[in-house]
Amino acid sequence: MNNLHGLIMAYRSNNNLGALTQHRNTSSLPVFGRYRLIDFMLSNYVNAGISDVGILVHESYQSLLDHIGTGKDWDLSRKRGGLRILPPFGGNSGEYRGSLEALNNVRSYLAQIRQDYIITSWGDFAMNLDVAAIYEQHINTGADVTMVCSDINRGDSLDVDFIQMDETGRVTDIAVRPPAPVEGHPSLEVYVLSKKLLLEMLDNCIAHGQYSINRHVIAANIHKMDIRAYVHTGYAARPLSIGGYFSRSMELLDPATQLDLFNPNRPIRTKDMSYPPTYYGPESRSVNSLISDGCFLEGTVENSILSRDVIVEVGAKVENCILMQGTVIHAGASISHVITDKKVTICSNCMLAGHPTYPLVIAKGSSV
Amino acid sequence: MKKEAVAMLLAGGQGSRLYALTSHVAKPAVPFGGKYRIIDFPLSNCANSGIDTVGVLTQYKPLELNSYIGSGQSWDLDRSDGGVHILPPYVTEGDAGTWYKGTANAIYQNIGFMDNYDPEYVVILSGDHIYKMDYAKMIELHKQTGADCTISVLEVTTEEASRFGIMNVDADDRIFEFEEKPVVPKSNLASMGIYVFSWATLRKYLIDDEADPTSNNDFGKNIIPNLLADDKLLMAYRFSGYWKDVGTIDSLWDANMDMLASHGGIDLYDSSWPIYTHSPIRPPHYAGPTSVISHSIVADGSFISGTVENSVLFNSVTVEEGANVAYSILMPGAVVKKGATISYSIIAENSVIEANATVGSDPCEDPNWGIAVVAGGLTVGENAIVAPSAMIREDVKGGERV
Repeated sequence: MNNLHGLIMAYRSNNNLGALTQHRNTSSLPVFGRYRLIDFMLSNYVNAGISDVGILVHESYQSLLDHIGTGKDWDLSRKRGGLRILPPFGGNSGEYRGSLEALNNVRSYLAQIRQDYIITSWGDFAMNLDVAAIYEQHINTGADVTMVCSDINRGDSLDVDFIQMDETGRVTDIAVRPPAPVEGHPSLEVYVLSKKLLLEMLDNCIAHGQYSINRHVIAANIHKMDIRAYVHTGYAARPLSIGGYFSRSMELLDPATQLDLFNPNRPIRTKDMSYPPTYYGPESRSVNSLISDGCFLEGTVENSILSRDVIVEVGAKVENCILMQGTVIHAGASISHVITDKKVTICSNCMLAGHPTYPLVIAKGSSV
Repeated sequence: MKKEAVAMLLAGGQGSRLYALTSHVAKPAVPFGGKYRIIDFPLSNCANSGIDTVGVLTQYKPLELNSYIGSGQSWDLDRSDGGVHILPPYVTEGDAGTWYKGTANAIYQNIGFMDNYDPEYVVILSGDHIYKMDYAKMIELHKQTGADCTISVLEVTTEEASRFGIMNVDADDRIFEFEEKPVVPKSNLASMGIYVFSWATLRKYLIDDEADPTSNNDFGKNIIPNLLADDKLLMAYRFSGYWKDVGTIDSLWDANMDMLASHGGIDLYDSSWPIYTHSPIRPPHYAGPTSVISHSIVADGSFISGTVENSVLFNSVTVEEGANVAYSILMPGAVVKKGATISYSIIAENSVIEANATVGSDPCEDPNWGIAVVAGGLTVGENAIVAPSAMIREDVKGGERV
């Protein structure tokens, strides 16, 4: 896979995620206990043998840098190639209107990469993609562009593109960000194309004031170019709202979904923190929960997802919650349908409840 | 480049008292405490103490240990100058060079390695103890007293004292006598097998020791007595805190169980002295709808649907619904199927206990009772019964009693 170069767009944030993305962009949002969203695409690339990865960032990327470091946890700390963080190379420093604008800002990087093919994706999708199979299909079909879509249309309407394809897999239509849900396969916003084509499209579009891959490359050329779809079957989630983040996370309490997303043959890697294993006290009770290393549990945990270094004291009760790193639930507290950001403290005997469709979010570092 | 201190970690012992657990790996590579291997403790202590150059002396079944240590990255010991070095015995010109004959000979054979760094001090460590210790403080005492050798000691009870090497000291903690496992101990200061030497002194004694054909080439038997006989300055460094030898099945089981103690065990949650490890990245563990987990330690990637009490579970362990695990240690990848019962046992890596099998039992009157051990990669068949204190090195067929 040394002829495929990985790019990850990691600059978009989502206002609907409220306090969860106040201090970080969506790609570094903590998920499923021990991961950040960007772990998925990074691991997908590495699992396909990709050795060079560029990550496009714009602002609020301190937490992302902190997580990725030199890339050594993904074996991307290399003498040649490896991981490159790509902030805007000067010039335009305003918010990117679209991914072409982002790519154009790192054009000099793109021009010198040593691979002939490029895969671009977003860092805020959680999915276990078989990138090697996508690349193989791209080469075998000789398509100009291969784009990845999901086989499940969940009826989400916010910020999603939908594609139609014929029986040969050729994309015949794309609805870019329709205001209401439409028929078709939701796009997972992953594109494979040659470096040559990408640079041509980039120059052409920028010269015409165009900035969006889906609108100005895909939609505009749907009948002129050979654009094909690769259908990903399996879990794929991009948190678009707090309710969505909550419900899509909770799907991981199903062992079959765990096996799909954490496919042992394509493991999802993350920053290695060397936390000790989790301790369960004599009185503790935990059922139907995903629990990371480094927790200290003496109370009750049900239907929840716990990140590393979470403390649940004696008599405390946690139900249907997502607790991020460093959360402390003091003795006797009782919480349900709550998302606690990092380093949140819930005091003794406190009671908090959100709703399944509108979970309560406690901002990073807060004490309740 | 010159280093003030270099650590040498003796990791070549067979660990034969761990029986089946060391049939494939060197003792320092034996898994410990749900996430670690024994060698994580001295290596993390080195990293936390600011010692960035560590030689690991290996010779017995080194493959897994070597690959585990790798570049030393997991302990922040991948350095461009110094770092961790695996030092196996090797042959030199004219077929010289031998297996390591003893602990002192192992260091003797690596005088060349030491000379590269021209250190003032050398710290000698072993790979079979669980403890957290700041070696920098011990070196500091060594410097202040101007000692030739400083030995860390732990106060033990008088009953225990006859199992250890005992240091007899004067009012200033200067060691004047060393007694190996004395019947009538004169003090209760046990040697922890951790030494700081002034390298110039040790270098001379190693060369003299090698020239003595009657020597066992051992620190405890030869080097220390020789230093004492020459009236060299040997100081005791008093350590207090958790320290456990894990050289036997019973002590290894005990030390694992200590991790469940709310007080008195080793505190691995203290972020000022992290114990680093190299563990595979697995998803968080899943406590299923039917799981009952109490007073236990569980690591990432495990999948628990049964009952787990007073046990230590490593990564990627499976305990199926209706299975019972109590007072046991399940090493990475162990599988306990439906209805199986595991008590007071150690199940090594990737072994499978089939449905309704029984391994070990609660303590009883039987004088032969003990911890049952199933070595790595084995299968204990359905309805099989493995007796307490059994040492299983081969598959057990379904229904068989062993």
